[in-house]
Amino acid sequence: MERIIAGFVAALRESGIRVSPGESLDAVQALGLCGMNGRRSSRQLLRLTLVKNVNDIPTFNEVFNRYFSRFQFVDPEKNIPEIMDAALIDMEGEFSYLNQQQGDDHDEGGPLLKFDSEINPEDLQELKSLTEIDPDDSDGNEIIVQMKGYRGKAKKAPRPTRRYTQNPLTIELNKSNSIQPGITFSAEEQAAMQDVVSRMMLRLRKDMKRMKNNQNRGKLHVIKTIQKNYRHDMVPFQVALRRKRREKPRLVVLCDVSYSVSHASRFMLLLLHTLHNQMLDVRSFIYNRDIAEITEMLANMPVNDLMETIDTGDIVDLDENSSFGQVFLKFKKQYLENLRGRPAFIILGDARNNYGDANDFVLDEIREKARYMLWLTPEDRDSWSRGDCLMDLYGSYCDRVEVVKTVDELSLFVEDLLRDIYADKAEPVDREKILAAKAAEIYDSSDYYHRGVNAGIVPTFDPRGRSEWSFHPDGRSQG
Amino acid sequence: MITEQGVKEFLHAGGYIADDAIATAVFLALRMEKPILIEGPPGVGKTGLAKALSSALDFPLVRLQCYEGIDEGKALYDWEYGKQLLYTQLLRTQLDNYLSVSADLREAVERLSAEESLFFSKNFLVQRPILRSFLSEKRSLLLIDEIDRSDDEFEALLLECLSDFQVSIPELGVIEAKRKPLTILTSNGTRMISDALRRRCLYLYIGYPELEREVAIVRVKFPEICEDLARQMVEFLRKARELNLRKPPSVSEALDWAQVLSILKATQLTPEVVANTVGVIAKHQTDLQKVTDLAMQELS
Repeated sequence: MERIIAGFVAALRESGIRVSPGESLDAVQALGLCGMNGRRSSRQLLRLTLVKNVNDIPTFNEVFNRYFSRFQFVDPEKNIPEIMDAALIDMEGEFSYLNQQQGDDHDEGGPLLKFDSEINPEDLQELKSLTEIDPDDSDGNEIIVQMKGYRGKAKKAPRPTRRYTQNPLTIELNKSNSIQPGITFSAEEQAAMQDVVSRMMLRLRKDMKRMKNNQNRGKLHVIKTIQKNYRHDMVPFQVALRRKRREKPRLVVLCDVSYSVSHASRFMLLLLHTLHNQMLDVRSFIYNRDIAEITEMLANMPVNDLMETIDTGDIVDLDENSSFGQVFLKFKKQYLENLRGRPAFIILGDARNNYGDANDFVLDEIREKARYMLWLTPEDRDSWSRGDCLMDLYGSYCDRVEVVKTVDELSLFVEDLLRDIYADKAEPVDREKILAAKAAEIYDSSDYYHRGVNAGIVPTFDPRGRSEWSFHPDGRSQG
Repeated sequence: MITEQGVKEFLHAGGYIADDAIATAVFLALRMEKPILIEGPPGVGKTGLAKALSSALDFPLVRLQCYEGIDEGKALYDWEYGKQLLYTQLLRTQLDNYLSVSADLREAVERLSAEESLFFSKNFLVQRPILRSFLSEKRSLLLIDEIDRSDDEFEALLLECLSDFQVSIPELGVIEAKRKPLTILTSNGTRMISDALRRRCLYLYIGYPELEREVAIVRVKFPEICEDLARQMVEFLRKARELNLRKPPSVSEALDWAQVLSILKATQLTPEVVANTVGVIAKHQTDLQKVTDLAMQELS
């Protein structure tokens, strides 16, 4: 029997359920205690001991049915210690299996985190041509930069293949193969997002605690202190400090789901889904030409089902051209009045209005209600004023407009925003600062006096007997 | 020797209708002495199971309600500073006599530190719920309610208690449980609980009960509700749960509703009865409308 359980546990692990050796031991012990009373009760026993997450239960049932269709149950006529010993011996093999598995994981890395980070040889080529230009020749430089913009655009133009994979028709076809590229999320993607978000929350929470401690220092709450120390005969062992009322962070997210930005909105939705599970007050809307609230669905539906519902166009029609003007107007009519508190707004979209009315006065009204407005666009800055893109107009109402292309960037911006809401004095996550700090580690001492704060300051000798520090812009001492 | 069937029966006697999964989990928790982690939507009887078990098994119930910011001083133990101070004050003369024998300061300090353990003894220890349940002479039932409301730090603190049933107190050493309590943790899943904690527990998910079981639950708690009405109620609630409400009515709402109906002496569900009592089952304004609409549709 131990062998069977060990095999079953291995099968569970293959399907992505994490089972520790300790849990497998529990399962064997439980089976020994209760005995085998048919398939149902055995399944219950194994589920109780091996599965520790609701989401894993369907997978478990599936693996159970598949695995035990091959076995006939035999009543074990052994007593428990023997079973346990035998199980322990069997488990030894498992430990090595476990180690091997971990090694593999390290090599792989998260698929999400790698996303979009590879560098094309073509890009490198562009960088090289940029540095080769003579800096005095300003005309040439400008031309090169513009050319780069165009070339980048050509690469980003929607390719037919990608469009087709996002078309609902093809999904239906692919469903039978159980491979659905681009639309639903794989278990790894979800787990990686869970990971990114929970790490983000952890960082936020730690910072918040530190800031709270700093803010509260020195403000004594006399009454609470007395109450607290009543049982210490009023000797103030425990000090109660005044607390600032912590405001709950509220977010309102408007997410464009039209085809042109579906690549970015896909991850935004996943991020939102994960944030919902982390207990933030988020209200989420999706829009194309029409706008609809999906807060409830995000909280209650599995994320893949939701993505499918959105892709079939049941919530907002995806075949229409997106119209920001109409969406804003409808948002103002239906939702703007009943938003609680002063939420922070995140709008994800490319601001391509298909030459409709801009209706940018709504943004002005939203601005009055909002604590903060952040616009995330997947398009590069140099194309913001081209064609039907109203980014420059809309952007003027926002506190911040950012270009996001990867999940990492997305989560960094959201984290930044949450920090802003939680506490004004929080230090933002500064990517450039982190990179600069890394660069500074490679230290070159040969040129010390000509860099940094001390650049150009060299002590000079004064014949009157006093040494003085004097500043010379050319960095040389006076003769 | 208790069996799974036995568990079911004594829970039934305690007014709790358990299904197979719950009975097996309780049986295993009793035999393997492992904690059970129960998850599920609010109001399906997670805490109720603990209460029913405590009364059925005659284990004293020790309850620890978790909240944000709970720490070891609230959950495990605390020192009674006031009492310590009082004792040093009262024992001053004895201390003087005791220390006056010593020749110099160094010796006095040595003599005093030899008696340090007096002041950090169990006399001055305030037992908080977890320690209290560990030190109880009778096997107790430790209910750690809504663990998802606590912080990560507290969760880490629980690991030692739950896997080894012991509490480490720096001044005293390790205190082991006299009788390992039957431990039940409940969670509403508002926060992900770490795998480390899950690994130490049996995991039980209680969802909404099946039709027959829910009818039985209503009938056990309110025998004056007749079988037909109970069935009608439960069927209606099951439909309401599929309406995508903000707060779907749960078993506790079913019981509240049964109580209200028995007070009103209703014998049958009609749209009017539902409209009058809808506040018991729907807890949001938008939900009220949806439920009354459903009643009009289904019951008229």
